Amino acid sequence: MLREPLQTLLTVVVIAIALTLPTALYISVENIRQLSGGVESSAQITVFVKKGARPAAIEKLGEQLGKLSGVTSVSYISAQTALEEFNALSGFGSALQYLDENPLPEAFLVQPLLLNDSAKLVAEIRQITLVDDVQLDMEWLSRLDALLDMGRKLVLALGAALGIGVILVVGNTIRLAIQSRRDEIIIVKLVGGTDAYVRRPFLYTGLLFGFFGAMVAALMLIGLGFWLEPSVNDLASLYQSQFRLSGLGVSGFIALLAIGGGVGLAGAWISVSQHMRDIKPR
Amino acid sequence: MIRFDNLSKRYTGGFEALRNVSFEMDSGEMAFLTGHSGAGKSTLLKLLMLIERPTAGNLLINGKNLNRLAKSRIPFYRRQLGVVFQNHQLLFDRSVFENVALPLQVSGYSPGEIGRRVRAALDSVGLLDREKQSPIELSGGEQQRVGIARAVVHKPKILLADEPTGNLDPQLSAEIMALFRRFQDVGVTVLVATHDISLINKMNMRIMRLNQGELELDGVAHDID
Repeated sequence: MLREPLQTLLTVVVIAIALTLPTALYISVENIRQLSGGVESSAQITVFVKKGARPAAIEKLGEQLGKLSGVTSVSYISAQTALEEFNALSGFGSALQYLDENPLPEAFLVQPLLLNDSAKLVAEIRQITLVDDVQLDMEWLSRLDALLDMGRKLVLALGAALGIGVILVVGNTIRLAIQSRRDEIIIVKLVGGTDAYVRRPFLYTGLLFGFFGAMVAALMLIGLGFWLEPSVNDLASLYQSQFRLSGLGVSGFIALLAIGGGVGLAGAWISVSQHMRDIKPR
Repeated sequence: MIRFDNLSKRYTGGFEALRNVSFEMDSGEMAFLTGHSGAGKSTLLKLLMLIERPTAGNLLINGKNLNRLAKSRIPFYRRQLGVVFQNHQLLFDRSVFENVALPLQVSGYSPGEIGRRVRAALDSVGLLDREKQSPIELSGGEQQRVGIARAVVHKPKILLADEPTGNLDPQLSAEIMALFRRFQDVGVTVLVATHDISLINKMNMRIMRLNQGELELDGVAHDID
């Protein structure tokens, strides 16, 4: 392995790139899934109250909503609070000066216990007389879910294709190593070396190629993370989100090492069993 | 120790390298295998090393028929042999010590045992002070002696040599032959393939002469002229 430093380095880098691509995609999908998980738990039903309802009736409505089954919490947003919030966050605050009265309705935020129950809940709330409109923005969530599903499949496909690539790269490197050590193999066999004894150093080489490739891939991913982090944080702060990019983690790193080592070993094994046969004596 | 029983070897091209060869060698016996090139000397040695398999006949080592030896047992059979090659087959990217240690390494000896045995083998060929050098720094005769040290380091019962004096001058050749006799003296069965007639005629030993794949003569040197 150390006899050809440049060849070794190239092989390790090729393996690293092949491992980095699907892993980076996997991490992206996982991050988006986490993000969507946060959104899902905050999926709320917004209940708009009819204009002109008396404060006592609104209070009663709040109690009524809280008693519905499958509701965890109900919070009241008065028209005034909504206006202030809009003023502070939308950037159109100055436009409100030209309005004579507050156009926003009184509203309740209803937190459903289970996301699956929310459709039923919405129908139920709609029946209440004082309710003007009910909103549940869920459709984009299921779209995101479908996208994530596709992403996961893409990770698998890309991982499989590049895994085969790594097997071929390692296999080719091992083939060259076998050819350059042909004399040695012949002599070892003639003095009574078993096939396993001859094979072992090549298998170790394949395993090490995979390990080193995985380690370099991990470094690449860390670098990628550092590079992306400011942009992600900017984006998150624009959405008032506490979201932080999460990396591979220790267990992910160990899995990456195991996959790299396994694929390297597989490449070496295939190459050794193919090319050892060509060397006489058998 | 070695018994050839009507052995024939025909290569896939149809060339018949050995034809009905029969002979026996006792434990601790030394013999020369002669004949002009192409007579079948190398093929005979290859059959003994299990590089080739006979097409007919039986080859018995220590009473065991090699035809019935499973492929997975071949390495363990080869560990009973010591082989000196014509072009000595040393690895130039390793030291003399590492070259000689190879047969012990493949058999799984401990490092301490390897050191002890390698030095004993190098001592027996008079190269103890060269162990750290590369074989490329040695003369032809010295390289051949490293090859002999490697062939005997694991104390084989049978020592095979294929033209061990091929490129050496008469003085060095005589020294190598003297070395083989010393191994024979300690009970090793020695079979040397050579076409160096003048050398072996002086040695008064058993000679087997092959001619076009057939064993045409088998006797002691002074019986043959």
